[in-house]
Amino acid sequence: MYELFEHTADLGIRVKSSTLNGLFSDAACALFAAVLDNPESIEAEQTVEFELEGTQTDYLLFDWLNELLYYFETKHVLFSEFSIEVSAGGFKAVCRGESLNLEKHHAAHEVKAITYHGLKVEQTEQGWQAELIVDI
Amino acid sequence: MTNQPFGGQLEKLSDFCWRIPKSYKPGMRVDGLIYTSEEMLQQVIGDQAPEQVANVAFLPGIQMASLAMPDIHWGYGFSIGGVCATDPDEGGVISPGGVGYDINCGVRLLRTNLFYRDVKPVLTQLIDELFNKIPAGVGKEGPYTFNPTELKQLMGSGSPWLIEKGLATQADIDHTEAFGCLEGAEPERVSERALERGKKQCGTLGSGNHFLEVQVVDAIFDAEAAAVMGLEKDMVCVMIHSGSRGLGYQVCDDALKLLRGVPEKYGIELPDRQLACAPVNSPEGEHYLGAMRAAANYAWCNRQLLMWQARECFARFFGKPWEQMQMSLIYDVAHNIAKLEKHRVDGTEKKVWVHRKGATRAFPPGHSDVPPMYQKIGQPVLIPGDMGRASWVLVGQPGSMERSFGTTCHGAGRAMSRRAAVRHAKGRRIDEELKQKGIIARARSWKGLAEEQPEAYKDVNLVVDVVQQAGISKKVARMRPIGVVKG
Repeated sequence: MYELFEHTADLGIRVKSSTLNGLFSDAACALFAAVLDNPESIEAEQTVEFELEGTQTDYLLFDWLNELLYYFETKHVLFSEFSIEVSAGGFKAVCRGESLNLEKHHAAHEVKAITYHGLKVEQTEQGWQAELIVDI
Repeated sequence: MTNQPFGGQLEKLSDFCWRIPKSYKPGMRVDGLIYTSEEMLQQVIGDQAPEQVANVAFLPGIQMASLAMPDIHWGYGFSIGGVCATDPDEGGVISPGGVGYDINCGVRLLRTNLFYRDVKPVLTQLIDELFNKIPAGVGKEGPYTFNPTELKQLMGSGSPWLIEKGLATQADIDHTEAFGCLEGAEPERVSERALERGKKQCGTLGSGNHFLEVQVVDAIFDAEAAAVMGLEKDMVCVMIHSGSRGLGYQVCDDALKLLRGVPEKYGIELPDRQLACAPVNSPEGEHYLGAMRAAANYAWCNRQLLMWQARECFARFFGKPWEQMQMSLIYDVAHNIAKLEKHRVDGTEKKVWVHRKGATRAFPPGHSDVPPMYQKIGQPVLIPGDMGRASWVLVGQPGSMERSFGTTCHGAGRAMSRRAAVRHAKGRRIDEELKQKGIIARARSWKGLAEEQPEAYKDVNLVVDVVQQAGISKKVARMRPIGVVKG
């Protein structure tokens, strides 16, 4: 589950999930919801795999979103489905999505970057919670 | 992290300056000083921006005060509108967050010999032509592609490199801050990822608050300065606001990654990770500076290529060469940048690194870095407002050297969050509302236009009143938008 929250100049992303896998997956969905007005229009037509290394959860989340952003900006591919397997040294992600088509995908924001300002990943009684701000 | 009002200490020093004393938080090395007015104060303390001014005061080597201009609002790390100068000889640091992701985001203004009466009958078609030809918005690439070798040359030399490509004139370079090139750029420190992001984006506008506007000189406040710039009442001008695109964002991102753990290594305690920094005189600091300067040079080329495309559009549209329409660049200013400059601090002249995060250099008449044609009037300062009200042309004043390390504001500053602006725009057609006011607005996304609607911004006229009252810059001309192109 994710929500976008208020930030004067930019945009906040808040994610809650019962598992860490779910947290990474929902955060990725939130990122594409910041990019597009209609993220539900992204169809799972192609598959790309990513492998992230790191042991600090907050940096791992940061690096993950950054990787997706970089891939989007250079390859123009949007993703909607994520299958994530967390291991001791990082995680593997299988992402499904399709190429950007401005007729079908209504662009909302160019996300410039993921920021460290207020970057927070916490384990709660219900699972995991994360907050971060993206630069618009 | 929520948008809570600032509840800390704030003392009024004068009608235009408030202080956060360094006793407010242990770790602050200097006071925080915010330039604003009674009228705007409630907006200023409406979010966490003043807390960010206090946080910047933690940076080692900071001189005089952590400053904020009247367009201050909540950013990430530094507030937008933040200014901080550090002295390398006192362990001063360089902080990528004090420059921002959009390295050398800035504004340029070019004039024409057309007047409102010439353009009014064909305004909609002209704006449509610009909207169709100027690459803007998510996923849009420009007509110029540079391979890695060319990109490195471009970043090493800045916009003068475009002269030999036939995409700039010497006069363009002469009217650009730092002549379009920061010395000491080290393109080899720019990562492959940044090159990849940047190869097709030089000459594209981007989205968010970036724009190309056709404007009209609405009122002149300083006839002498306006004449020197070639501005006349009702004259049509073009203002362009953009930065270093994906290349610059990636340079900042790479630097912040490289700085993970570095403040701890140098024993620097910070209240926010986004303020990550390194001593100027350290391998990490030098690495960032080399790459940052390269990205800044890329940004000057980006604005130059945007201007070139605008000139070509006008030429096609009006059926005559742009030179014949006297489309000359008035000036180009950077408002997200760090520069090594000479300033007097406590009576001593020092070379300091001035970070301007959403703030504009405003050197006074006679300053050696002001180009020859503007020596008498001071450096032109370009302040974009919002798409419905006004933008401003100012000049730097001597007060900027005394009070703000030669710096003034950079815009109106946001008053509403993006989401609040979208709620506020629900059920409305912003483009239709602007059309009623004689402004033709074109954007790739409805949301983009809603987020950037005039009401989302503070009143730029109030912001400019403060910088004039504080003696850091002076009004020359107020510009009124008639056409807006956005991503």
